[in-house]
This record gives sequence, structure tokens and C-alpha cells, in this order.
Amino acid sequence: MTAGLSSAETRLWRGQIWTVAKSEIHRNLFSRRSLAVYLLVFMPLAVMLLRALFMPEALRVDPPHATTEFAEFFFFFFLRLVVFFVNAVIFVRLFRGEMLERSLHYTLLAPIRRDVLTTGKYLGGVVSSVLLLVPATALTYLLVYLPHGRAGLSLMFSASGIANLLTYLLIVVLACLAYGALFMLAGLYFKNPMIPALIFLGWETLTPFLPALLKSLSFVHYLASFAPVPVTLGAFAILARPVSWWVALLALLAASAVLVFLASRAARRLEVKYSAE
Amino acid sequence: MSSDRIIFSDVSKFYGEVLGVNKVSLEVAPGLTGLVGPNGSGKSTLMHLMTGLLRPSRGDISVLGIAPDQPEELFRVVGYCTQYDSFPNGATGISFLLHALALHGYPKTEADERAWAAVERVGLTDAANRRIAGYSKGMRQRIKLAHAHCHDPQVLVLDEPLNGLDPMGRAEMIDLFTNFAHQGRHVIVSSHILHEVDLISDGVIMIHGGAIVAEGEIRAVRGEITSHPMQVLIRCDKPHDVASEIFRLEHVVEARLLDDGGLLVRTRHADDFFTELNRIILATDVVVETVAPADESVHAVYDYLIGEGVGGGSV
Repeated sequence: MTAGLSSAETRLWRGQIWTVAKSEIHRNLFSRRSLAVYLLVFMPLAVMLLRALFMPEALRVDPPHATTEFAEFFFFFFLRLVVFFVNAVIFVRLFRGEMLERSLHYTLLAPIRRDVLTTGKYLGGVVSSVLLLVPATALTYLLVYLPHGRAGLSLMFSASGIANLLTYLLIVVLACLAYGALFMLAGLYFKNPMIPALIFLGWETLTPFLPALLKSLSFVHYLASFAPVPVTLGAFAILARPVSWWVALLALLAASAVLVFLASRAARRLEVKYSAE
Repeated sequence: MSSDRIIFSDVSKFYGEVLGVNKVSLEVAPGLTGLVGPNGSGKSTLMHLMTGLLRPSRGDISVLGIAPDQPEELFRVVGYCTQYDSFPNGATGISFLLHALALHGYPKTEADERAWAAVERVGLTDAANRRIAGYSKGMRQRIKLAHAHCHDPQVLVLDEPLNGLDPMGRAEMIDLFTNFAHQGRHVIVSSHILHEVDLISDGVIMIHGGAIVAEGEIRAVRGEITSHPMQVLIRCDKPHDVASEIFRLEHVVEARLLDDGGLLVRTRHADDFFTELNRIILATDVVVETVAPADESVHAVYDYLIGEGVGGGSV
């Protein structure tokens, strides 16, 4: 997209991408439509808060248990449900939301290339979801260790505790990039993108029980490769050779880039037909 | 390829199996062009195609040499006020314009100047910082018009732009459009209020059932409708004398004295008639108050071509 470009053109595109992204961030974080997203983000915090308040005294003396407990909570609840649905709600609305609001035409009447527009919307979605999910992850992490008192906090702030937290945050950011790109594309192709999103959720949930070849077609397989603490996947899970972190990173980034490219192509063919929505 | 025309070449648009517009070929010159047709005739489809909001099923479109699938170039020179009465949630009048101008790449100061100049032109300065959701229908129409022209486009496409405006507002906006057109730009206005189109248009495009029925200057279009003799209204001090002379002309099919003293003539050859009329006026020594075509209006032409009984002045 940048081959043979003048600096003025590049500056214009940067400005347009940031203008579109800012508008999306504002919509995602400060409008009525953000209520569902805030509720989703609040869920793990509420669960961990209740756990902290009502944890039996016997469990409070076992801080190392918190490490495995967070790992399981993160992979089975936070990543598969909260991160998944926050991204679904934010990214399917990037285009579909404006169609339902009947205001997409204003964006399409601007002198902006559709691929630049798509990039701006994607960036806005990623920044929004990261701004919501990264603090939520860190707070949930804190709430897991908090009931264990001083011992729990010192474990959390130890080198391994901080390294684990940073790895979980990296997983969240990568999940936002990958799920975000997928849901943005779904929002361009489907009138009700939540149906394909639920189908994909089913696929992601079944991943541990799929053969190695099919596992490679899910995001959670690559995201799990970064797991700082191994989690038990259940008796029926089919074990596969773990993917090295750099293969997982490249796979997730490449998949995101391909999905954003496909979304740009779909956006080029986008027509304003509100009556058909 | 640079051009000052808007060109449709054999353009069709189908919505599934439903016809939007069919085999439209047009060449629109700068000036104020009225796009006329009943609801569902394809006016908005034509405007959407021109601005890339819809893609043609077949054929090519060029707006000043730019294809509508190149929005980064097209909307530097085109502004479009659609018929949709919806806005981004939470936007104020001024933030709505500033966002559009930021996408154009204007620096903050220039965007501010342009946005405030546009709200002033449409008479919304006092309400500019209020949320659009609280605007009246007329104010919403005005802010859409400001949005369409705030970047000073060469082509202004306006879909029913006078809807919801009070008479004063209509007059102000008509002034705005005509000023634009007088600067050598394109202003394409769709309306189903025929007398409005008549008032402001240099040329007209008539569309019916997705097909172009006629295009060009009203007089030229009227001149080509040979199935309906041209009507001319004459007001003078001796209408009886003029009527008896005129009735001898071969191409005159009717000369009728009206109750108000006027003389209504129907002729098959307008040019010949006006030549003969000059001779008659000189020969009979009458004092002529007016000689004016009585059916050289969009309304009449539309009625002749489409014949849907456009009694109320709207279609």
C-alpha cells in the first residue's frame, strides 16, 4: 500500500487512519453501545471479587494454588468467553453498526480509500478492546492473588509472577488482533455476524478434542502456546506437539493480516442499501 | 482523463431481480440540473451510482473523469446530500462537519474555518454546538447540506434537498444552489416537486421506471414533444383581432379566448408561429403585454411524457 508513495500521501493516510480510529474508540468506549462491552469486562472481575470475599480460610494459606487457578480461569473463561465476546461485539459493529445506525454513507462519502478506512476501523477496534481487556486482565490477576494476603502479593510481584502477567497480557493483545480481524470480516459479510461468531466459538471450544491438523485452524491453539502455566485440557483432549512461541506469533499475525486484507477487499465492494439490512 | 461532464454509459443496476435503473446513457454538463421522477423511479439509485454508494451491474460512470469506485479522488470534487435522515450517534452539528473535514485531510485551523463557514451559509451557527439528535427536520436538512458542500466541491449532488425546509429556508437553499451553479459547477438536484425544479434548473433529466425519458434544457425537451402542440399565452389589447388572424395559420390547431382576456394558442410549429405572430402584431397594430409559452415547464413536459396526472405540482 505504501510503494511509490509521496510523503504527503502517506501523511494523509496516517491522518485518515487516526481520524477513523479515534472515532471508533470514542464509539466503543463512550457511547450507549459500549454498555454490553463493559458488562462483559466486568464479569470476570465480579467473579474474582466474589471469590476473594468468600474464599474459605483454608485456601487462603496456599498462594501457589492461585497461579494454576488463574491459568485455568484465564483459558477456560476469560479468553474463551470474555475476550472472545468483547472482540465480537466491538469488531462486528465496526461496519455493521454504522449500517444499522444508517450512518455508514457519511464515512463512504469521504475521500478515503476503502483499505485505509478498513485499517483505521481495525486499529480503532484493537485499541478499544486492548484498553478494556488489558486492565481487566491485570485486575483479575490481582484479585486472584489478593485473598492470599502478603504472601500472595509477594508471589504476584515476584519476577515469575510479573512475567506470567505480561505473558497473559500478550495473549490478550494477540487475541484482540486475531479475533478482531475475523469479526470485522464477519461484520462485512453477514447481516447477523453473531451466528458465525457462535459457530466459531464452538470450533474454538472443541479445539482440544480435534486432531493436530484441525487444531491449527483455530486461534486458541496458537494462543495457548504462550501459556506460562500449563492447564489440564481434560480426559478427552487429544494432545498435539505444542507450537513454538515464534511460530504461534507469526501464525496469529499472518492470519490477522490476511483477514484484514480480505476485509479491505469486501469494503471496496461495499454498497449502501439500508433497506436490505 | 479530465472532463467537466458527468457521463453514464449504458448503466444498469439490478437489486437481485428488481430493476433499479436500466441502460442509462447520459452526459450532464455543468449547471443546475433537475432530476425528476416519481417515487421509486430510480432518482436516488442514479445518485448513489454517481457517488459510488452503489456499484453498477453493468456500464460505466465517470464524474469529471473520475470513476466512482475511487472515493479518494471522487470526494475531493463531489459532495452528496442523501435522503437519509440519520446521523452518527452523539454528533453535534459542528463535530459532524469537523470529522468529515478531518477525513479530507484539512489541518485543524482550516477545518474549523470551513466548518463554521458552512454552518453559517446554511444558517445554523447558533445551533452548531448542539447535538443533531435534538435538531428539527429542517435543521437536520441544513446540516446535511453543510456536510455536502463544506469542502467546496465541483459537483454537488442533492437528493430531495428541500424536504423539511420552511419557505424561507427553501428560498435560502435555492439561492445557495444557484450560486454554486453560476460558478460553473455541477448541481444535480432531485425533487418530486416539479415547480421547484422548474424554478431553479438549467436542464432536466426525467426518469421513470428506471429509464431516462428525456434530458436536456426544458425548452429543447418540450420542442421535441410533437405529439402535444405547444401552448402559447398572449395578452394584448385586441385579442379577438389577433385570434382571427392566428386561426388562419395552418399549424395552429386551437386559438381560445380565456375568461381573463388572454388568448391561448396551440400550435404544431412554435418557431413558425412566433415568426408569423410578429407579422400579425405589426399588421394589426396591437399593443402586446406578454407572449409566453404556457406549457414549457417541467410540470407540463413531465405530464406529456409520463402522463401520470401531476396535478398538485408534485409527482
